[in-house]
Amino acid sequence: MGERIRIGFLGLGFVGIMSTLYLGFMWAPSVAIDAFESPAAQKIFYWHVPSAWAAFIAFAVLFVGSALWFFKRSPTGWRLHIAGAEAGLATGLMTVWSGTIWGSAEWGTPWDWSDVRLNTFGLLTLLALFLVLGRRSQPDGIETRDTFSTFGLFGFVLVPFTYIATRIWVIRHPGPVVATGTGGSLHSDMALVLLIGAISFTIFIIGHILTSMHITKLEQRVEMLQREIDRSD
Amino acid sequence: MEGMSYLTVAYLGMITGIAIWTWTVFARAKNLEARIYAIETSLGKDEIEADSIALQSAKSDDDKATG
Repeated sequence: MGERIRIGFLGLGFVGIMSTLYLGFMWAPSVAIDAFESPAAQKIFYWHVPSAWAAFIAFAVLFVGSALWFFKRSPTGWRLHIAGAEAGLATGLMTVWSGTIWGSAEWGTPWDWSDVRLNTFGLLTLLALFLVLGRRSQPDGIETRDTFSTFGLFGFVLVPFTYIATRIWVIRHPGPVVATGTGGSLHSDMALVLLIGAISFTIFIIGHILTSMHITKLEQRVEMLQREIDRSD
Repeated sequence: MEGMSYLTVAYLGMITGIAIWTWTVFARAKNLEARIYAIETSLGKDEIEADSIALQSAKSDDDKATG
């Protein structure tokens, strides 16, 4: 896919993310002063939730890519696997970072080891870290790809588990405020800013996934050319 | 720290994070494109599309199927 399209996705996504921040600070209503320990820090929500949403998209891409490689031996599948792992790591870290800072402000502690949602999402991010670092430290080969694809396939089990965690076990992480089945508890202006954030992060992550796939293709070309040079020596 | 201080730290960290991530990705792409161009020019080759591991895997599957 063309460079202009990739840059277009990234640029549009970035502008959307910055607009979300602006709207979150300047336009969306603040929460009631007695509703939270740290009402100002609540505005982190406009970044935390869309980045978690983007992480789930990235992990879905990782799953599809892993399956395509493992079952179909598809080169595009392997590129999707790599792109999904890298995007999952970046968005997962953004979610964890924003969550721990909010936790510090609101709960007085950045992490609660007894909370299911926090721990399953943390594990997902660690899985992405393992896949990104593992691929860079291992020589490329069929066995290496099969091993990492298996982790990509089985690791995806954590995604639905993470999604339903706050619906089943509300321990420390707040329960869902959208897609609750009862209309949700979110003010309509807040929901609008959140929607703009989710769309922006989706566009941005698509741009990154396309760029990452392009880079993997380039790396494979360099490797192929290197082999040709070695053969001709 | 006050709530606003936490918020500022979080947002500055994340904006810097996505800026570095995007910059790194583009720098990697540009660097690889320059290397490929240099190698292909020196070898007098046209652009090639190849994932040698996928080709190797497909060949291995074919060999198994044909016994």
